[in-house]
Amino acid sequence: MSHKAKTSICRAQPQRRSLTTLIGKSLLAAIWWAALVAPIQPDGAVASEVLEEIQERKDQRLLVLAAASLSDVLPRIGKEWERLGGRPLAFSFDATSRLAVQAAQGGSGDVFFSADAAWIHWLEAEGALSPGSATHFAANDLVIVVPSDAPMPVGLQRLSEFKRVALAGENVPAARYAREALEQLGVWSEVKDRVIRGGSVRATLEWVSRGEVPAGIVYRTDAIAEPSVQIAFIFDGVQYPKALYWAAPLASTLYEESVADFLDFVSGDVGQASLQEAGFRLPQADIGDGSIGAFSNKVTDRESPASISSAIRLSLIVAFLATIVGLIPAVGLGWVLARFDFRGKAILSTIVTAPLVMPPVVTGFLLLSVLGASTPLGGLVASLGFPVPFTILGASIAALVVGLPLYVISVRGAFEAVDPMYEELSWTLGCSRLKTFFRVSLPLALPGIAAGAVLAFARSLGEFGATVVLAGNVEGSTRTIPLAVYTLLESPTGRETIWVLVGASVGISLLALLGFETLSRRQKSRLEDRRAR
Amino acid sequence: MVGPSGAGKSTILRILAGVERRAAGEVVVKGNCWQDTSDETWVPSWKRRVGWVPQETLLFPHLTVRENLSYGGALYDWVSETAALLQIRELLDRRPRRLSGGERQRVALGRALLSRPRLLLLDEPFSALDRSLRVELSQLVSDWALDRSVPIVLVSHDEEDAKWLANERWLVGGGGLRRE
Repeated sequence: MSHKAKTSICRAQPQRRSLTTLIGKSLLAAIWWAALVAPIQPDGAVASEVLEEIQERKDQRLLVLAAASLSDVLPRIGKEWERLGGRPLAFSFDATSRLAVQAAQGGSGDVFFSADAAWIHWLEAEGALSPGSATHFAANDLVIVVPSDAPMPVGLQRLSEFKRVALAGENVPAARYAREALEQLGVWSEVKDRVIRGGSVRATLEWVSRGEVPAGIVYRTDAIAEPSVQIAFIFDGVQYPKALYWAAPLASTLYEESVADFLDFVSGDVGQASLQEAGFRLPQADIGDGSIGAFSNKVTDRESPASISSAIRLSLIVAFLATIVGLIPAVGLGWVLARFDFRGKAILSTIVTAPLVMPPVVTGFLLLSVLGASTPLGGLVASLGFPVPFTILGASIAALVVGLPLYVISVRGAFEAVDPMYEELSWTLGCSRLKTFFRVSLPLALPGIAAGAVLAFARSLGEFGATVVLAGNVEGSTRTIPLAVYTLLESPTGRETIWVLVGASVGISLLALLGFETLSRRQKSRLEDRRAR
Repeated sequence: MVGPSGAGKSTILRILAGVERRAAGEVVVKGNCWQDTSDETWVPSWKRRVGWVPQETLLFPHLTVRENLSYGGALYDWVSETAALLQIRELLDRRPRRLSGGERQRVALGRALLSRPRLLLLDEPFSALDRSLRVELSQLVSDWALDRSVPIVLVSHDEEDAKWLANERWLVGGGGLRRE
């Protein structure tokens, strides 16, 4: 054991060194900055500046990386801790799997809260935690949730009747527990193909609460906190896995003492009271030394979570669909905005361009609010046989809406580059506005329109935020390249696959931009020398 | 029409062609009312049948010379004949990009004539041509217009053009037209 401890210290060394170089670098940066600013600061006291920065480190916050399911309760405990004079805290909540990969790669953070033991083991193996330092402090039940207006009760046998079941991503603990529970029940093979993956438990809950997915499997605490869902079934009993929460100081911390105190605080009376109030269970007694969990004690990919060929194929299909379907609105809007002046033109232009600057996640949320199966429009579309959420259609719509601004801007630019006198001349030769559009404007703007299409295609390939909200992360139908990369990021074995996808993504994007450049040049040369002098 | 640059000569042609609608008043050509702002009469450009040859020539850059000439609907043989008259027959398969200034002017003129106009609007149509060709083409256009009794509105600074094509001379300037 002591030997182990030694090796773990040895492992920790490089982290330390990199931290000192980091500090060194930031000092250098501070001096550089001071040198830049000195001329405007009359006393330009570089030395005192540096001293101040070192001083500041003394009351630096502890960076807490914690499982998303703790995002309500942990800040509450933290507030109490700070009130009692503990070192201030900063939280980063996400799926345990993503946080673990970040912590192992980034080598930063002070303390880690995991929703399962498997990721703790993995972090130990990666050298990001010292072995044996983790403590088990709480447990959580898995539950099946349904929308709060759904008929009750829902027996377990009905799970296989649901058209879709929402789970978090493959390597997120909640989803791994859920899979084990369903395997215990012997229904996993039936449910498997109807699983919709959200990025996290929160996304799962959002879909169920909106009625987009009839059922989801989440933690009991999350279900309690969300008023628009109800708990239909609790996986209660020894045959089902329980989520076991573990916490451990990260090897990269500089504040071992504060971290140890904080962990004691969470395991202590105050922490436990808050945890129980939020619906967590007491630590499970039979877990013992923290290395053996009955379930999920090893992080493995039992099957590859994302297939390269499927991701690339889906990305190309989605991007082509978005580009082709977007052609008519892009040309129409580009033409109208380039050639006509009317009331509300600025508003139209703003609305069309908005997705360019809006966070794609917001765009996705708005689309879900308009096109979700539970909305009037979405319901109508779905009843015609084209459900939007969680389908390739949804992914294409997300890609289209997010790609349209670039499309319209390019097309508008192409039309604006065409001298309106060509069109006027065509009128005098007997062609109406519409005829002129097809005989003169469109052909002259064609290379520019193609350039816009290429740009929109490239943007669609990269679309992530709106897609994941509207279309989910469904292997084989909406898991495009960016979603696959995101999924693989939380997979312990996904490295090589990621690089293949990253290569494909960079390659296609650069090719597309090259195409854009070439077509833009052609547009210029097409209009070249248009006046005789 | 003559007058200093910026006086509005080209604008008058644009109003007659129906591509400029901002002016108030009446446009009546050979008894047909094309525009009357008092009763909102407006005949769109594509129904006026005017042959407009703007100063910039504006040949469609994506079309060949032949396609430019037949843009208004002229038939193949007629296009070939007219091209021969204008001495641009050997240019028919070229793109406008590869034409000289004088060649462009002839193609633009041919395109206007081939659209069977009821009114011909010429804006410095021969400015890039050498003297002999200039006289030849002025005569040609003059004969063509007399044959079909098509009125011509010509903007030019050149006395030679005016001699062959004009029987009235108007000075544009100071916000109006004045007969000289």
